[in-house]
Parts: sequence; C-alpha cells; structure tokens
Amino acid sequence: MSDRKLLLSSSPHVFSPVDTPRIMLSVVIALMPATAYGIYLYGLPALGVVVTSIAAAVVSEFLFRKLIKASMTVGDFSAVVSGLLLALILPPSTPLWMVALGAIFAIVIAKEFFGGLGANPFNPALIGRAFLLMSFPAAITSWSMPKGLGLPADALSAATPLNLLKQGNALADVAKYFGASDTGAFYRQLFMGYRSGSIGESSILLVLLGGLFLLGIGVIQWIVPVSVLASTFVFSWLLGMDPVLGLLTGGIVFGAFFMATDYATRPLTPYGQAIFGIGIGLITVLIRKFGGYPEGVTYAILIMNILTPFLNKLRVKKYGFVPPPKPAKPSKEATK
Amino acid sequence: MVIWGGFVIIFQHIASNAKKLVFSAESALIFKGDLSTMSIRTFKGGAHPPERKDRSGGKPIERLTSVPQVVIPVNQHFGAPIQPLVKVGEFVKAGQKIADAEGRMTVPLHASVAGVVKKIEPRMQSNNTEGLCIVIEPKDPPEGESAQDFMPPLDPFACTKEEALARIRAAGIVGMGGAGFPAHVKLAPTKPISYVIANAAECEPYLTIDERTLIETPEKIVDGVAIVMKTVNAPEGVIAIEENKKHAIPYVQKAIDQSPQVKAGMKIRIQELKTKYPQGGEKMLITAITGKQVPSGGLPMDVGCVVSNVGTLCAIVDAFREGKPLIERGFTVTGGACKTPKNLVAPIGTLISDLVKANVVETDEESLAKVIFGGPMMGVAVPSYEIPVQKNTSGVLLMSKEEAMQYEEETCIRCGRCIRACPTAVSPALLAIAIESGNYAEAEKIGLLDCIECGSCSFVCPAHRHLVQRFRVGKQVLRALKQKEAQNVR
Repeated sequence: MSDRKLLLSSSPHVFSPVDTPRIMLSVVIALMPATAYGIYLYGLPALGVVVTSIAAAVVSEFLFRKLIKASMTVGDFSAVVSGLLLALILPPSTPLWMVALGAIFAIVIAKEFFGGLGANPFNPALIGRAFLLMSFPAAITSWSMPKGLGLPADALSAATPLNLLKQGNALADVAKYFGASDTGAFYRQLFMGYRSGSIGESSILLVLLGGLFLLGIGVIQWIVPVSVLASTFVFSWLLGMDPVLGLLTGGIVFGAFFMATDYATRPLTPYGQAIFGIGIGLITVLIRKFGGYPEGVTYAILIMNILTPFLNKLRVKKYGFVPPPKPAKPSKEATK
Repeated sequence: MVIWGGFVIIFQHIASNAKKLVFSAESALIFKGDLSTMSIRTFKGGAHPPERKDRSGGKPIERLTSVPQVVIPVNQHFGAPIQPLVKVGEFVKAGQKIADAEGRMTVPLHASVAGVVKKIEPRMQSNNTEGLCIVIEPKDPPEGESAQDFMPPLDPFACTKEEALARIRAAGIVGMGGAGFPAHVKLAPTKPISYVIANAAECEPYLTIDERTLIETPEKIVDGVAIVMKTVNAPEGVIAIEENKKHAIPYVQKAIDQSPQVKAGMKIRIQELKTKYPQGGEKMLITAITGKQVPSGGLPMDVGCVVSNVGTLCAIVDAFREGKPLIERGFTVTGGACKTPKNLVAPIGTLISDLVKANVVETDEESLAKVIFGGPMMGVAVPSYEIPVQKNTSGVLLMSKEEAMQYEEETCIRCGRCIRACPTAVSPALLAIAIESGNYAEAEKIGLLDCIECGSCSFVCPAHRHLVQRFRVGKQVLRALKQKEAQNVR
C-alpha cells in the first residue's frame, strides 16, 4: 500500500462525459442534412467546395500550430466545423482555390492569430466569407440554379430571391422566376429549400432540423436563435418588408442557429445574448433595406461580435445579491 | 465508421442531457409563494453527476466495535483551536473529554474508545494537512471501573435554552455534513427562525449514509428536528429528501406520525426535492424550500433558517437522551475499487488502513487509483489509507482507475455550461478570466466570495478547466489582498 502512488487532485473528482470534440462533432452532425441537400441540389461543385474548405481549414490549423510550436488542437474538430460552416455559406460555383484561400484566412488570421479556439473575437467562417466577398465580389455573388427547376441553366446568371427583390422586382414576379404559382406556394418552396443560394442555407426545414437537434442535446441555447429570428421578423415588418419572406430567404435562419451561436463570439450571459440576437436581426434588416448588399447576415453577426465583450458585462444577478448601499441623500430618511 | 461512432456519441449525449433539459425548464420557473404544497422543489442551476449510490444504498449500517487504535485529530471543528487535556500513558474512558479550550467558536473533543493514550503528535488528517492527533490504544478499564464516561441524560423539552446549548457544546457536536461548524453556535441564532431544515438531500454522488439513517433511525431524526426547533424556537421543521431517496419517505413519515412532539402540536413535514447537485448545499436547500436567497455574505438565519445534517441531528439526540458525546459517526465506504461497499458506524479516529487490514473493507488493489474523504464532488483526495475518520467524514471513496479520470486542461471554448450550472450564478467563465488576469476587484464584483466551491462548473466543463480550483486559490488571494488593504488604511 505505502509504495503505491495514489492520485491527488483537487475536487471535483468526477467529470461530465461531454467534452469539446464531442460538442464540435455534434455540430458537424447537425449540419449533415443541410450539407447533403446542398450537394444534392448543386452536384459535384458543391461537394468540391465542402471538401476543399474542410481540408484547407484542418491542414492550415495543423501547419500553423506546428509552425508556432503550440499544442496540437486539430483533434477537437473545431477546424472541421469552421471549414464546413464556411463552405455552407459560399455559392456552390465558387472556384476551389478561392474556397481554400477563404478557409486558410478564416483559420489562420481570424482564429489562430488571436490564440486559437475560444479566443477569437470574430466568427472565423464569417470572416472567411467577408474576406472572399470583398476580394472577389463577382465570384461570391454569382449563384447557380438548383438542378431540375426547369429554368435557364446558365450557371452564372441565376439570382437569389433577395437579389431580385433588391433590384425592385415584385414578389409575385420573383415567385414566378422560381416557378411558383403564387406567393403561398413560393413560401412553401422556400421553406423546403428549392431556390438558388449558398450551399447550406437553401432548405429552411433542414437547417431548422439541425438547429433544433443542437438545442435538444443542449449544445446551443434558445436565447440567441430566438432573439435573432424574432427581431428579424419584427424589424422587417416595421420597415415595411414582408417579415415571413425575410425569414425564409437569405441566410438568417442558418446564421441564427449556426453562426450567431458560435461559442467564442457570442456573449456568455443571458441578457447579453438577448441583446446580441436583437442587434443581429436589426442590422440584417437595415442592410437588406438600405445597404448595398442584398443580404446582411454576415456583417450583422460580425458587427455584433465586436460588442460581445461589452455585452458580457450584463451578468445575471448572483445568488443572494445585496445591492450596494447607496450614499444617503441629505433630505430623505437616513439609511442604516 | 466515423459517422457511426459520432452517432453513438450523440445518442449518449442525448440520453445524458434529456434529464437536464427537463430540469432546466422546470427550474426556470422558480416558484415564490405557498409553502404548504407538497410539490417537488429545487433551485436554479446545478449539475447531474453520475449517482452510483446503488452500490452501498441497500446495505444496512454496520457497527464497528473493536479497532486496534484510534487517531483522533484535536481540531476537527471550524473555529478557534483547542488544546489536549491528557498526557501520554494516561488511561481514558470512552466519552471522556480529552481536549478543550475557552472561547465561543470551540468545541471539546472526547475519547472515542476506552484505552491508553499512546502518542500525541502531528499526523495526516482528512483535509490533507498535518495536525495534532491523540493516539489511543483500546484497553480494558481497571477493575471495578466503567469503560464509559457519558454525561447524565437531559430532557431536551424540560431544560432551558442555555442548558440545551451547553449540553450540545459539551457533547462536542459540529456540523457533520462536511463543514464542521460548531453546532451550539449555529443553534444560538440572533435572529428569529421560522424553519429548521433537516438536510437529508445527500446530493453528493456515491454517499448513502444519510439515506440509511433515514430508513433505519427515522425517529431519531424527527426527535432531533424537534429538539432543534425547541432550542431555536422555530414554528416549523422540514426534513428535506432528494427524489432518489423516495423509498425512505414512508419510514420518515411514519416516524413523524408517531413522534410525541408532533402529536403535541409541533409541525414537522417532509419536503421532496429534485435530484440535482448541489441540492444539499445549505443555500440551495434554503432556496428550494423557502424560495428565499441567503444574502451575500450572510447566514441562513438571515432568512430565518437553521439547516442541520441528519447525522448532526442524531448526534444531538444522543447527547440529550443518552448523554453520549460525539465519539462515533456513520459514513459510507464505496467506490469502484472497493469490493465491499457498505455503510459503517465507527469510532472517530478509526484509520481506514485498519479497516482494510481487518478486512472490514476489501479493496481491489489493482485498480485503486484515488482515495477520497467525502464525496466525489467536494471531497479531498488523500495520499494514503492511514487517515482517520473525523467528525465531518461522510464517506470514504476508493476510486478505480476508470473512475478517477484525469484530464489535461484545455482552452475555454466559452460554451457557457459553467454559467448555467453555477448554483450561485457567479458566471464561473468570466470569474476565471478575471482571476487569470489578476483583476481581483472585478472578481469580487462578479462574486468570487459567493462561490460555494461545489464543483458543478468544473464537472460540466467540456475543456476540463480547473475552475473551482482557481476560485479556491483566488478567494485566499483576495482575502489576503483585502487584509493588506485594511492594514494600509489603518
């Protein structure tokens, strides 16, 4: 007995089986339906984008950590998540070298430069997309038509519903463009995901499914997605836009569940999260209404990322909180 | 393959989280109001560590009568130190006072067996530090003398409050749930008390001694609640039991119904609580039962509550009814490397190594990796078996290699699990950042001193951050800084 060494450590001595790789893996699994559907809609080019993005993200993280002789963190799957997320918010026709460049930028500049997982102030995937959007605006805003829609198959001439609306087209015309008989049918079509757009954002149904899965297993919490979606709805309506269409088109649902909920870049406290979500909705709507881009989720989330450290100050009241004694006012009754 | 493995992981994940989801939804609707309802109550936050209470839960309490020696730490209470009153070579009776001191925050110490004082020297204690211990070797008393030196019984319902408190102090009773706070101080509140709460939540995983006490001697617990109610003049007594010990409730209810004090009009009831760690934490228990929060830096009496562990209540009953001081206690011996999980009552000062030598406790030496005094969430890992059972030892865990997991600390991914788990809502992730950056003013503002060190944050952390460890050190640093500041001002 005396010669054997017993472990000594501070309590607690038992730990939850939920660790970082498991959380990251569950995000990947939640994204699988939307990814598979995107590949089904757009075929091989989409598959190429997804594979390239993930590979570039993982390899660049591996090489960078090796280069700076830091601990190896590739095993935590966070680079896989970032790479996959970036792929899903890019148009399927993006040239693969651009995808790789975006993924490398996302991982090395937006994440590792700031200290890696958990220390990055901005969502890496969104930084990757913003970088590509600014560097190659033409490539990142040209959309492919989903297969089998019976529409002109010219890959680079297709437009997203938000594009068309931004150009001043009436909703009925936009619906007709996508082959829907009326706006109701168009809404259903958008919800099911038969439209042009980024690889992963098309089907609201599948994105919601993935998001609800993450909510269900407790990987994300409801405050951020609900406040993002609610504020998008309310502000769209206040600014005279169709609020339902505002939720069904563009990347707001995808952004609400998978981008805004990114652990490192959203506030930690409930009140902070609520304001964060409301801010994202507001900025998205403002960009859609007044901005130069048809869609603004990317910039809305990045802008709110800046505020995260400040929103973290909005903590819940601690247990047994006693308000600090206020300095006694001269005329009022004396405080004890 | 990878995908399939992923799915298996996710299913496990769902299973482990489904319960938590339900709980968090319920605890979000924290109640305020009618206290007479028999609904199941709880607090906000918390975690669900694996319980593993089934190993020893069904085992009746065994009474250990003969031990080869006892090593009794002199200072086992929270408060001012006391000094030995006996010398090496002296014969002492069981229950004889062997150490004491003047002062309010002190309790006397008694010999737990009759025998000869062999040594008085520093030895390792269960808090992992060396402290003065009195070593007694059991021996029969000289011809014609009794081996026991108990006080005369005292009727708790016929004596004055002062007599009762004096008796509780004389019996050397401290909080037996873990803190070791002198009971006579706790039972002399300076504010009116509305609830006496018997803490039978036993939220620490593995431990089952309170559960067995509820089943085997419920009448003692009810009597103890009545005595404390009489002492602090409280109108209501509540026996708080976690849902996973539901099967003990009929025994306790029967004891309540048969209690002469209850028949005479005293109000004692059972409150069922959600099975959630740290439900048995004093503050969490009070919030679950009364809906009130103990103010920051305050005491339970500030919200009209006195909370006592069931073990303490039984010790109080013994002190009055039998005149017996606190010289033995019940505890659970369990863990993956323990072949004979059981609940024991043993003299204070019994060495675990002696239990192992006498085959009272059989161990799996191959897999034994860690020995813990207390529960797995707040207990102290000790370097050997040769540590005595103390007044506040609620369990001894012999953890196997599989159970005693060791993890590398990774970077915080800011998932916020600790914030949701923290029962005192002090935002552990932000607190850790403040401490790491040396910003103790901010740490204090966030609530460093309100941390109860329950370990829920460290338990749920997916990056295995040493959160509660940081807070323990941080508290000491902060207190030292404040002291320095106070001296400078002076």
